[in-house]
Amino acid sequence: MIGLDVGSTTAKKVSIEDGKIKYQITGTHNWKDLIAGIDGKDIISTGYFRNTVPHRASVTEITAAIYGVRHYFPDADVIVDIGGQDTKVIDVRKNNFIINDKCSAGTGAFLEFVANYFKIELTEMGSYHGRAKRIPAINNTCGVFALSEMISQLVAGYTQEEVIAGMHYAFARRISFMIPEAESLVLIGGTVKNKGMVSALSYILKKEVLVPDEPQIVNALGALKYYS
Amino acid sequence: MPVQKKIAITALVPPELIYACGDETFDVNNVIPESKKYPRNKLCAWTAIWQEMLSKREINIDSLIVVAGGDCHNALVDGQKVAMSGIPTHFFFYPFDGSAEYLESQLLKLRDFLGGIKSPEKPGEIRELKDLGLEIDKKRAQGKLSSSDAFRILISFSDLAGDLDKFRETISSVRETDIEINNRIALIGVPPIYHDFHDVSQSLGLHVVFDELPYEFIRHSGTDIHQIARDYCNYTFARPLDFRIKFLQKELQKRKVDGVVHYTQFACHHMLEDDIMRSNLDYPMLTIQGDLPGNTPEQIKLRLEAFREALERS
Ligand code: SF4
Repeated sequence: MIGLDVGSTTAKKVSIEDGKIKYQITGTHNWKDLIAGIDGKDIISTGYFRNTVPHRASVTEITAAIYGVRHYFPDADVIVDIGGQDTKVIDVRKNNFIINDKCSAGTGAFLEFVANYFKIELTEMGSYHGRAKRIPAINNTCGVFALSEMISQLVAGYTQEEVIAGMHYAFARRISFMIPEAESLVLIGGTVKNKGMVSALSYILKKEVLVPDEPQIVNALGALKYYS
Repeated sequence: MPVQKKIAITALVPPELIYACGDETFDVNNVIPESKKYPRNKLCAWTAIWQEMLSKREINIDSLIVVAGGDCHNALVDGQKVAMSGIPTHFFFYPFDGSAEYLESQLLKLRDFLGGIKSPEKPGEIRELKDLGLEIDKKRAQGKLSSSDAFRILISFSDLAGDLDKFRETISSVRETDIEINNRIALIGVPPIYHDFHDVSQSLGLHVVFDELPYEFIRHSGTDIHQIARDYCNYTFARPLDFRIKFLQKELQKRKVDGVVHYTQFACHHMLEDDIMRSNLDYPMLTIQGDLPGNTPEQIKLRLEAFREALERS
């Protein structure tokens, strides 16, 4: 049995073999490669395309996130899933969830935009942030305006590293508005591999935020756990 | 025989009185969910769309009654725009404090605006229809009617589809079914702007057993102005929140609901009530926000589906 998460940008497959989590990640357009030789009745799907791909059972990303996070942090009470196209905040205690999908400013697409502007890889953003000496204030929470503010800060003399850190703070501030008080806050999704963004959020919320080892496969794992 | 005029309303205005004055009632909101209009100047799409359609005479009406007290300012402003376009318009105020005397004075003014009572028997006929409405509401909660069939009828009670006889036929044509209800849902707030919302919810395993606003349409009545005032003064949407919440608590308990879906509309003040509803209604609650009319969007379907999964976990 496998958990298959086919989202808007990436597809992930998770299986548990001899008690160990095995996984594979690829671009959404290559999702079929993940299930070569696997029968539909052995697939528990989740993600935006959960009902399009072959499956024995499907589960929403929201429920999958709850089950997946529980594996790493059984006491998690709030989960923030920062995806490419939307950000979901799940309050596990209250069975409540909010989704930001009307505006790109609080989604992975925003940081991707910044990376594209500097022609660097998304994965490098964290280390750029680490080298910043000062953090410029970027106050706009609207994605487009924040970008023009970022350019003004570059013109004003801030370095690329500093401006990237400033954008992480702007992004984190935007997301923080959606997050309720929590004892144990867990971040998941591909975007949270970016340590700069995570430290900005932790600073703004004034609390430690937990990130599983492989934050991108949590939902695929959760789908599998939900069914077993 | 006097000509029957078509009187449009922007929110609940006792149809008993409009029909008694010999006129036909037309709730402008009923055309919105199926509308494909993208209004130019908009906050809430409900008022923006009817404003545009009425001002441009895309819908023909003789006069408009704007609920000015007990509804919202978006409706009040858009109602004035329609008035400025030349349509005879009357502004109707519900009392916040529930004063029956005040409401009676408002109903008397409305009667004069409409030209006086001509068919005093109509309110009695409407009462009989509303009894059928209450029956439909009950059958749906027992799983004997699909929630969308029931909703279609209940929502039409604000204007009784413009024709009492035809509406009676529509009601009697609803077919009973036998549905096994797993997740009993109360839908509170304004009605969804998506025309297929009840069907979609049902297909995702959420069975709406209570529609807050349409229930207001069937529960008030009265055979003369004195009585109408004494019943409609408790129209919950015009009253303070604690009044509305007490009413909801009672209805939700009666219907043994498993969860609440709070539908709110973009740029609508009802959104501000969400945290109050959450802290006062002791049920799992999902809040959704709609904007433009059409099919229920995928993202809202995801929320509904996840809510069902949450209910099944708890
Ligand atoms: S949805 Fe809200 S803003 Fe729109 S007409 Fe109704 S009360 Fe007014």
